[in-house]
Amino acid sequence: MPAIFPSEEWLKGLEEKLNSDVRYGDIAKKWEGDLFFFIEPEGNLKEQLTFYLDLWHGKCRKVEYKPRPESYPNPVFTLTATYTNITALLTGQLNPMTAMMTSKLKVKGSMGYMMRNVPTVLDFVRVAQEVTQEIL
Amino acid sequence: MQPILKLDLTTGHTEEYHIPEKWEKDFLGGASLAARILYSTLTKELDPLSPESPLLFMMGPMTGTSGPTTGRFVICGKGPATGLWAESNIGGFWGPELRAAGYDGLWITGRASAPVYLWLNGSRLEIRSAAHLWGQNTYTTQDKVKEEVGEKSARVCVIGPAGEKQVLFASIMCDHGRMAGRTGMGAVMGSKNLKAIAVHGTNEIPVFDGTRYKALRSESNRKLRDDNEARVMREVGTAGAANYAEYLGAMPVKYYTSGSFPAVDEVSGAKMTDTILVGRSACQGCVIACGRVVKLPKDVSKRKGPEHETMVGFGANLLNDNLESIVDMGDLCDRYGMDTISTSNTIGLAFHLFEKGIITTEDTGGIELKWGDVDAIEQLVRMIGSREGIGDLLAQGSRLFGAHFGVEDEAVQVNGLEVAYHDPRGVSGMALSYATSPRGACHNQSDYFFVDWGHSNEEIGIEFLARHAQAEKAGNVARHQDWRSVDNAVVMCIFANVAPKEKVGLINAACGLDWSVADMMKFGERSWNLKRAINNRMGLNAQNDKLPKALLTPFPDGGSEGFVPDIEEMLISYYKHRGWDRETGKPSREKLLELGLDDMATDLWG
Repeated sequence: MPAIFPSEEWLKGLEEKLNSDVRYGDIAKKWEGDLFFFIEPEGNLKEQLTFYLDLWHGKCRKVEYKPRPESYPNPVFTLTATYTNITALLTGQLNPMTAMMTSKLKVKGSMGYMMRNVPTVLDFVRVAQEVTQEIL
Repeated sequence: MQPILKLDLTTGHTEEYHIPEKWEKDFLGGASLAARILYSTLTKELDPLSPESPLLFMMGPMTGTSGPTTGRFVICGKGPATGLWAESNIGGFWGPELRAAGYDGLWITGRASAPVYLWLNGSRLEIRSAAHLWGQNTYTTQDKVKEEVGEKSARVCVIGPAGEKQVLFASIMCDHGRMAGRTGMGAVMGSKNLKAIAVHGTNEIPVFDGTRYKALRSESNRKLRDDNEARVMREVGTAGAANYAEYLGAMPVKYYTSGSFPAVDEVSGAKMTDTILVGRSACQGCVIACGRVVKLPKDVSKRKGPEHETMVGFGANLLNDNLESIVDMGDLCDRYGMDTISTSNTIGLAFHLFEKGIITTEDTGGIELKWGDVDAIEQLVRMIGSREGIGDLLAQGSRLFGAHFGVEDEAVQVNGLEVAYHDPRGVSGMALSYATSPRGACHNQSDYFFVDWGHSNEEIGIEFLARHAQAEKAGNVARHQDWRSVDNAVVMCIFANVAPKEKVGLINAACGLDWSVADMMKFGERSWNLKRAINNRMGLNAQNDKLPKALLTPFPDGGSEGFVPDIEEMLISYYKHRGWDRETGKPSREKLLELGLDDMATDLWG
């Protein structure tokens, strides 16, 4: 299941892990919302990367690698980070709350909902870290 | 800088006080400059409620300039409950109005022979009778004064009945719900028979390099508007982090005896937003707008909603999960003119002692103090505000209330100021913030809980450390205190996430300085040490740097179960970082000289 980030295999691995991880399933049981990620180019990433996850009640209903933004015009959250910051998150060098509080991870969507569900956010990041075998 | 208007209420004499040029550079403005100005006045012998006691309304160099969250000012003096340096930070529009009237401060001493209010219209000052306003609540007083002076754009600072009766944690309110809550400056104002101060000004507020400042403030405000934290504050208010704080076990529950509050969803900023929020309010020039405007089903008009401290103080702290009652309690405290932290904390102590059987219905006048009983809470708030029955004892704050019943150590306070609602067992940096703050257990001299939540600031050496890290955090806390000392001088709201390089650029443009970030931090360190020196002169020593028993007792439950900060080790490390003498608690002579505080070095060390 662990894979190299960024890759479609990594995203599929994340989907699989989100759907099998008991702890995540429990913590995120009230979460309702899809995420659209923009990873801004930096270092080894030469062009903007996008991916999409539909998260619902502790499960991941759908993922898509490199979707076009117009395919998902109204995601509950749009998250934007540089390649450096997203990889720092995935390797545990950047704390998820630090990323949010210092706007290294830009969040578009309801901040109230996000703050009410911080445990879900933190556990989502834990799962993402666990499926990250290596950074490109 | 513009002069400070000095008024002796005993004689009615006024004069303009011109700030020495060197002090403008070394102490900038706000709380730092106020500390320098009042340094020689604040003695151990000074009774904070005597006519000689000063009350200084001090602006910062950016107050009213529409910079990022710079509508603020500070009110300083000697704390009546602490006997220490007191400063209370307040927003609204009053500060900018005073600067537009041509003054950067208003320094009041003396005592009027009967209740008065001031009407400062430009440079013309009138002292008017307030006999008819005495006893009126803060909102009514503001409205009446405004009507009487006949100037629609006048701004009014007031005290309520609690200030008149010198409740030791009485506050000063301006612009309807904006409060200088902490350290009892309302009691000092009440002791002077001063009910209100109305101000109106039409001058342009001065900045050194207007063109440069405008460009920088524009960029800074634009970034701040989109900042994640600012958006949380705007969307769900400061109580928006309630769920997270509870999850971490950083929200004190049942008077600091529990770290778990399953009903947190019912009394949070998110719940308020979903149910009763009808608007938001902002201080002058602020792009965040953290103020809440709510309307309950029973209300005929809109009113102020609670921020984090009020929400937790009258919520989890008292096992109360009734959001509407918290709105009512916050509103009641505002009308009496009382700090909601100290009020709810002291009431929490009463409930705690009642449960332990240390006080009974004989002490309370027949009121059963059962956790979560909204009627009992309301009765105590009213009794404190009017100093009736047990309220007269509670009005002295938790330290003296506890001492009255022989259990001072049960009071959750430091040096006479009640602990705010960020528990160091959940966010350990707050242990040092509370133990070493110059004004008692204050969460705003260093809101280090934000750092422990994740808000690092590498540019000034504040890295993210685990929230339960211990002595290794001491240097971080010291730097954070220095950083916040800059904000309290400028005066900028601590909710403004403005990067150090941006902040120093704004300061340089506003003041005509050429500081680096390191210079700015050195300034912050100077301010912190100056306030420490003031307190040392007033008798504070190393034994005062401590935490109450409750905060050193592990929570039995919640996200921080079992943890307590090792305050002794933390203090040893903190003193080393600060260059303070561990035995006396004073900054070393070398440190004071290094910071250019030569007079203080002589005073403290001979």
